[in-house]
Amino acid sequence: MGVLLKYILISIVTTGMLLSTGLFADVSAAEDAEFATLLSEAKAAQKKANSVGGEWRDVGKFLKQAEQAAADGDFEKATKLAQKAKTQCELGYEQAVSQKGKAGHPSYLQ
Amino acid sequence: MKNALIATVLVLVCSLFVQPLSASPEDNVRLYQDYFKKRFPNIDFQEFANGVYAVNAQLRENWEAIEEFPPYEPFVERGESMWNTAFANGKSYADCFQNGPGSKHLYPQWSKEQGKVITLALAINQCREANGEKPLKYKKGPINDILAYMAYESRGQLTNVVIPADDPRALEAYKQGKEFYFTRRGQLNFSCSHCHFSSSGMNLRSDVLSPAVGQTTGWPVYRSKWGTVGTLHRRYTGCNKQVRAKPFPAQGEEYRNLEYFHTHMSNGVVLNGPSSRK
Repeated sequence: MGVLLKYILISIVTTGMLLSTGLFADVSAAEDAEFATLLSEAKAAQKKANSVGGEWRDVGKFLKQAEQAAADGDFEKATKLAQKAKTQCELGYEQAVSQKGKAGHPSYLQ
Repeated sequence: MKNALIATVLVLVCSLFVQPLSASPEDNVRLYQDYFKKRFPNIDFQEFANGVYAVNAQLRENWEAIEEFPPYEPFVERGESMWNTAFANGKSYADCFQNGPGSKHLYPQWSKEQGKVITLALAINQCREANGEKPLKYKKGPINDILAYMAYESRGQLTNVVIPADDPRALEAYKQGKEFYFTRRGQLNFSCSHCHFSSSGMNLRSDVLSPAVGQTTGWPVYRSKWGTVGTLHRRYTGCNKQVRAKPFPAQGEEYRNLEYFHTHMSNGVVLNGPSSRK
């Protein structure tokens, strides 16, 4: 009876461990995929901003830091940084395009 | 008929107040220089060559003390040695610069053959490459030695950037430089003019902002912050970073066109490089 109970307990613990490992693996894979998508969007936005000379100073640094954070498994930090880089690129692009061919003398010079 | 008359009068009145879009580079120079003459009425025009030290007495006092033992002198001496040392093929810088080392007043210049603005730094590297030498880096290092020597030998000449009328590409390069100058960029959304026109002479934290006219005359510059002599394009890089914009490559088209416009603004101001700045 005691031996049977021992085997049942070992089976429960092993199953639990396997399930939880799989679950964590699924969550980690999902975060990884989500971050990879965001990173790719941020890099595309960087390329677009750069094409009109509108990239801001810290974008490259944020992207590097985001990749490092993801490599360390800190997806919350990685996502935050990649999102910041993407937003800055979008704003930089809008800034550059809005002035293309329009930047001229300020009012006090006219 | 009455409406047409009113419209005509309105257009005429407005035209008195609006700078025409087709203003020539010469009109622009007058406009910019007049602006600074009015902004700093007690400053002799040639004093603009001294930048912030023309507009702030206390900083000037410190600067004059530094100039008693100019920190850029060793760079000038090394540059003279570079000038006098033959390349491996037996030729030297003198073979490229027909006017001798005092040629800074000829740059930046428009090259019809190359279809682009040639700065002195670029001309130096073109000379080196044409003679089988490696080009020098554009922001730090030995390029500052030869630039410092050539600037020193050019002292006393006047800034005289020419926009040749026989090549519309030259005017286009000037206009691109002008657009760069007045374009807001970076996270701080500043253009060059925000600091060096309407805020010139004012404090930015512990620094005083220099007027745009005269800013190009003293390069290369020994900056205390750098602890060495650096090029104008290194400074452009720093300015762009300060407004949190990604800088452009030194001697790339953007900064060469900017230098063309920026230097043209100081036409008539004496060359006084190399110089020292905070």
